[in-house]
Amino acid sequence: MAPGGQVCVLSVVSGEVAHSGAMDTTRTFSPRARWAVPAVAAAAVAAAFVVPATLGASASDDLPSVSADDLVDRMANADRVPVSGTVVYTARLGLPDVTVPELQGAGPLDLLGGSSTVRVWSDGEDSSRAALLGEVSEYSVVRDGPEAWTYSSADDEAVHYVVDPADLERYEELSEEAAEPPVDGDLPTPSEAAELALAYARTTTDVTTTEPVEVAGRAAYQLEMRPQTDGTLVDRVRVAVDAETSVPLRAQVWGVGDDAAPALEVGFTDVSFEMPDASVFDFSAPAGADVREVEVPLPEPGALEQKHPDALDGAEGVTVSGTGWETVVELSDVDVDAILGAAAEGRLPKDGTGSSGADDLLDELSPSDGEMPALPELDTRALYEQLTTEVDGGRVLTSALLSVLVTDDGRVLAGSVPPATLEELAG
Amino acid sequence: MSLAEAGTVAPPARRGVATARLLRSELRLVFGRVRNIVLLAGLAAVPVLVGIVLFVTQDSPVAGQGPPFPDRVTGNGLFLVFAALVSCLPFLLPLCVAIVSGDAVAGEAAAGTLRYLLVVPVPRTRLLLVKAGAVLAFAVAAVAAIAVTGLVVGAVLFGVGDVTLLSGDTVPLAEGILRTLGVVGYVVLSLTGLVAVGLFLSTLTEVPVAAMASTVVVAIVSGVLDALPQLSAVHPWLLTHHWLDLGEFLRLQVDVPTVLGGLAVQGAWVAVFGALAWSRFTTADVSS
Repeated sequence: MAPGGQVCVLSVVSGEVAHSGAMDTTRTFSPRARWAVPAVAAAAVAAAFVVPATLGASASDDLPSVSADDLVDRMANADRVPVSGTVVYTARLGLPDVTVPELQGAGPLDLLGGSSTVRVWSDGEDSSRAALLGEVSEYSVVRDGPEAWTYSSADDEAVHYVVDPADLERYEELSEEAAEPPVDGDLPTPSEAAELALAYARTTTDVTTTEPVEVAGRAAYQLEMRPQTDGTLVDRVRVAVDAETSVPLRAQVWGVGDDAAPALEVGFTDVSFEMPDASVFDFSAPAGADVREVEVPLPEPGALEQKHPDALDGAEGVTVSGTGWETVVELSDVDVDAILGAAAEGRLPKDGTGSSGADDLLDELSPSDGEMPALPELDTRALYEQLTTEVDGGRVLTSALLSVLVTDDGRVLAGSVPPATLEELAG
Repeated sequence: MSLAEAGTVAPPARRGVATARLLRSELRLVFGRVRNIVLLAGLAAVPVLVGIVLFVTQDSPVAGQGPPFPDRVTGNGLFLVFAALVSCLPFLLPLCVAIVSGDAVAGEAAAGTLRYLLVVPVPRTRLLLVKAGAVLAFAVAAVAAIAVTGLVVGAVLFGVGDVTLLSGDTVPLAEGILRTLGVVGYVVLSLTGLVAVGLFLSTLTEVPVAAMASTVVVAIVSGVLDALPQLSAVHPWLLTHHWLDLGEFLRLQVDVPTVLGGLAVQGAWVAVFGALAWSRFTTADVSS
């Protein structure tokens, strides 16, 4: 409508303008044909995005077939090669969402649920780097020989792990076996997941191969492992292995409750086997960051050789029952109330909780300087009560792959078994 | 009609002159308007405000709390550019771009000047491109206003130095400036999709406020949908989903496919809504 209610004096219809001759392009299309242009544009755009995703699905077609045993051998004996790329990790564990990544930045707690992107570099020997990407934040784990760093951009905090000087000599001997100093808040990679799955493959498991698949544009063999028992929450595990280099490219774990989507999935979305630039592994704490130094003793030689839950047995206050997929680990004399109560009052239990992972989690959740509460403040007791449900004689945490029972008399039982099994074991 | 007749026989060079003249007058229109200058000044005020607040509170217990970048600004003024851009991206920048792009065609129609514009011997297609160019120039100016004031205020209040990336690695200031330019360029190109949407909505109506408001609504609805985890399948195609990928320029290795992926989605929005705007603008009966 023209301003002031003026009658429209001049009516310029597109056809008339065409007559003026200036619009030489106007003549060639009828108005109806013009409206076809956006439709064509939309179709072209859709095609441009969809077609590359469906092309090349044939890369895995002409792989020679290989037996499950051969494939397991091949993985075990593969030369370690440099790998870099992008890994997407997805967890559908059915846990309540407790993190606010927008406020807290990227951190290991993100791995409890949802999808996370991790960028990884490895030189195939003793240097590696993994970076968990947040929106405008990042959490990095850098390993370079006997040293390791974690760095969180949101807290601007670096933790420097060095092998205990007393163990350094032994480390030098071990380094051919690529021993790595353990780091709290480590990030998942397909290789680690596959290694863990293979450890189980030697127990009570049916191991088969499926049709070759394609992962990150590479042809890959796929191993499928099904527990022989019904007593576990794990339905099946699949590991896709690069046909050429035998590097695990993807690991998926299905729970018994959900057959549609894997409860845990970690896999490359793009991968390269070229040697990363050496500067990637060369990390030092940035100026101004809080730096914490941690000396870690090397695990005992025995523990290195058998990465098996049984290795835990015999440690103080730890009992392991069941075997294979049904293994249940029991910790006794855990004072949950003391941990929660102390955290709620804003201080940590004086001598820690007895678990370095739990200590770090509490550090994360509680005020750093004792003056100003860190934002956003998480009430650990409310969190604990939100995550667990009340059962007879304790509280239980249920997820798609793992159950944890905290009994009222201070024992913690955890295993990849239904909660009822834990209650039965607890008595 | 003499002007139009002249257009018929005009050699390409004269048509180019006409287009250039049109672009100049369009730019004068956009940047000469008091409202748009106020918008630019408002955007430029954001880093000034953030900078002063952080400067005053830097020794108090609340220092270092809040969104991703402000806690780093006090150590390196260059981060004021990122802090200001990240805080303007969800709402202020889309709002300013929506106001100018929504006004582009509908504003002329409302003022009754569109019909005179169409008498100029320039095809409607080219007229639309000129309009789009002028809006894009405003988007560049808007992002530059934030970045330049951010850099100046940050340098004055906190000084600038080597840049600590999100990965924890430190790069020299020169590379830091280059990466900042990358961020600024990415933000500008991220707004092109919204410019196309705004132009299309602007061709639909003669009420500029309607076009502006609906463009803002498109940006906000896109942000809301992006926050719903149930819709994760459509997230990668949303207008605003890749905007914060600007963080990619602050990582150890800038992942080119990620950056290009974000820009490709903007390109898709430009292609579809640009084509819609073109169809509408070249077929519409302009009566005012």
